[in-house]
Amino acid sequence: MEGLVAVVFLLPLAAGIATYLAAPALKRDSVRISIVGMVATCAIAALLLGSALAGKPVGEVRLGASWGVLLFDPLSALMAFVVSAISLIVHVYSIRYMAEEPGYPRFFVLLDLMTAALLLMVSAGDLITLLIAWHLIGVLLYFLLGHDMTSRSAHRYAAWTLLTYRFGDLPLLLAAGLLYHAFGTWSLPDIFSHLDSVPDTRTLFGLPLADTAAALVGLAAFARSAQFLLHTWLPYTMSGPTPVSALMHAGIVNAGGFLINRFAPLFVTTHGVLHWIFFVGLVTAVIGSVLMLAQNDIKKALGYSTMGQMGFMIMECGVGAFSLAVYHLFAHGLFKGTLFLGAGGVISEARKDDGVPKDDLYTFVIERRPARRRQPWLLMAAVTLAVPAIILVLAHWLVANDLFQKQGAVILLFFGWVTGAQLIFSTYRMRTENTWRLMGMILFSFTIVVVGYTLISHAFDVFLYPDPAFRDRIYGAAGIDILWFDVLVILMTLVVVFGWLAAYYAEQNGRHGETRFDALWRGFYRLVARELFVASLYARFSAALVGIATRLNVLLRWS
Amino acid sequence: MTSVGYLVAALFLPLFPMSMLFNRLLARFPRVRSRMGLFLLWPQPGVLMLAILGERPPAWMLWWAAATSVLYALRGVAVRDLSLWTGYMATSAWALLWPAAAFGAFTEGGAALAWQALGLSAPFLLLAWLAGRLESELGAAYAGMCGGLAQTLPRLSGLLVLGVLAAVGTPPVPGFFTLLATTIHALPASAGIALVIVTVWLLWAWSGARILQGFVVGSACADSESGFGSDLGVTAARLLGLAFAALVLAGIGISGEMT
Repeated sequence: MEGLVAVVFLLPLAAGIATYLAAPALKRDSVRISIVGMVATCAIAALLLGSALAGKPVGEVRLGASWGVLLFDPLSALMAFVVSAISLIVHVYSIRYMAEEPGYPRFFVLLDLMTAALLLMVSAGDLITLLIAWHLIGVLLYFLLGHDMTSRSAHRYAAWTLLTYRFGDLPLLLAAGLLYHAFGTWSLPDIFSHLDSVPDTRTLFGLPLADTAAALVGLAAFARSAQFLLHTWLPYTMSGPTPVSALMHAGIVNAGGFLINRFAPLFVTTHGVLHWIFFVGLVTAVIGSVLMLAQNDIKKALGYSTMGQMGFMIMECGVGAFSLAVYHLFAHGLFKGTLFLGAGGVISEARKDDGVPKDDLYTFVIERRPARRRQPWLLMAAVTLAVPAIILVLAHWLVANDLFQKQGAVILLFFGWVTGAQLIFSTYRMRTENTWRLMGMILFSFTIVVVGYTLISHAFDVFLYPDPAFRDRIYGAAGIDILWFDVLVILMTLVVVFGWLAAYYAEQNGRHGETRFDALWRGFYRLVARELFVASLYARFSAALVGIATRLNVLLRWS
Repeated sequence: MTSVGYLVAALFLPLFPMSMLFNRLLARFPRVRSRMGLFLLWPQPGVLMLAILGERPPAWMLWWAAATSVLYALRGVAVRDLSLWTGYMATSAWALLWPAAAFGAFTEGGAALAWQALGLSAPFLLLAWLAGRLESELGAAYAGMCGGLAQTLPRLSGLLVLGVLAAVGTPPVPGFFTLLATTIHALPASAGIALVIVTVWLLWAWSGARILQGFVVGSACADSESGFGSDLGVTAARLLGLAFAALVLAGIGISGEMT
């Protein structure tokens, strides 16, 4: 059965090569080879996932003496299925979507090679194989994004992506170097086993090996998953073909979450690295969401939406909910892939009919016509604050009764509570004939989402990390001092509640003339509308480097 | 003897400013074959000299080599002429053979280092040949002068892409494994040099993307539509493709020595 792990990687590679070789003779029909190869790959990946679900023990396949090790474990089986399924959908979608484009067979060859590289990455069992796959994904994405060889802008932004990805390759390479020197092996299972037995190993400059290597792995994940300051490539790569955008947003950009999960045994031995991973994820989630709201270009807004989602995914890793991050990347892949692939059809339909039902939700959200009659605010405040909390706690209690022992779970509950309360807070003034019926429907939906999310994420947890002690160690590595934790939770609760009260007060009293915050607000909006000038700064920095290089060349007479 | 030996090595595994001699010489060689010969043979006397010296070069020379490599990698970013770019990339790559020789765990005896030098030089042979071909077809191998070659000369463009990818150390060509091994082995001995090597690698990727965009991307220029410039024949393209596949296999072969 382990041999199928190699087959699942080699099939798209072989299909890509065969499509390329057959293209001169078969022309456009050559892409059938690619599609058949992808169907077979997906079927085998499903078989692998099935056997992992059936409890088949972890194994490996060796393709070479010193590297080329492929792992069969729950994470690789699940990710291989996700990658091949998304890739198959993108392949099928591209048959018609790309039919009029020049370089039609080349596109499928590149898709096949990208799928092979992704499958190699998710099943890599040694550092060299992982580095090769990690590096190749960046290069192949460059060519996929720049598929239209006439578009200079597409290639310009594809080059941004390539450079960011290369920047992310390098910390992974350094982490690999440190781990190899410490334990003398490239094999990931062997390295994790050594780390478990000697977690306090030191490395360069007397630094703790686990923390240093984990920080470098985290940095590599940040570049791949568009975390703040390494995010500029993501919103600008919409000039590439739509199927590539779907593959990128649904699959490739999630690699950061996968990488952190792959190195979970490294992260459990760290002290504090997960905290700054949480911080970076949080900052990215907030900034990505704010930037998304300020964009007037729908494609850029989608790009920043993905950035925000990636922030949440990394943040989940930071609180120790590693398997939840995998579930998140899975769910995000599905909905973002659907959004991109459905965008063309939706736009075409919307030209005929906008399809927006003129119902209560429409009058409330679009026409901003709230209900005249309101329920008592104290009652609504109690419902708003208490009901989501009760639903969340009960749902989590179903799967784990030691819930409040895990800080990461408490933080996620907190986010769930804020989201649920915000939902009720913003809808209780909707124009409707029966407020309680509406509220009941909202709470019912919320309960289904919470219970579904909790049960599925628990299933992921048990599947990916079957050892309960290991799961506790992950949460333990992400934990902080209990006093500080409680203080922070109370502080955040106060901030959120104060924000709600301020928003309520502002709506009740209306606004009279220019306030002293308006200028500040306009300045903030300008800053956000210009995407915090991060892309401009990078553009200036690169222009300055090219200028220096040119002056050096002139000074040294081009020799 | 040692000083003279290092000086000779510094000429052939070029360290700045001796590196200027190699680039001047390259510019003066009009024939493609002589340029290819230069790329193939130039680093080998340097490798031989390091093997004869048989000792690890002093730390200051390693820093000198690292600085040379960064200098030429950075200068390559602003270059538009393919021949010149190839020369800069070769200078930057060969300079890294100093830390490869000093830290590499698999370079005992000099033979392995000679193979690594050959592996690093191989993409430059292809690029030198392609630059000559472009010069003869278009009058100059200058990025941006007549872009859109992917449409007018697709086979030649494909080989150019492969050549540039190999030159910037993309896996699994030999250059990738040489850089990987050098970085990893330099890390415990001199973390600073390891960081310089990864910076060089990043600069290579940037300059590779820039040079490719200048040649293969964009609308086909007006002159090419009128018929000047002919693409490679199918047989020639296949032969060169096979040569590239051999390079990849050599890379995978060389990687076996890493552990």
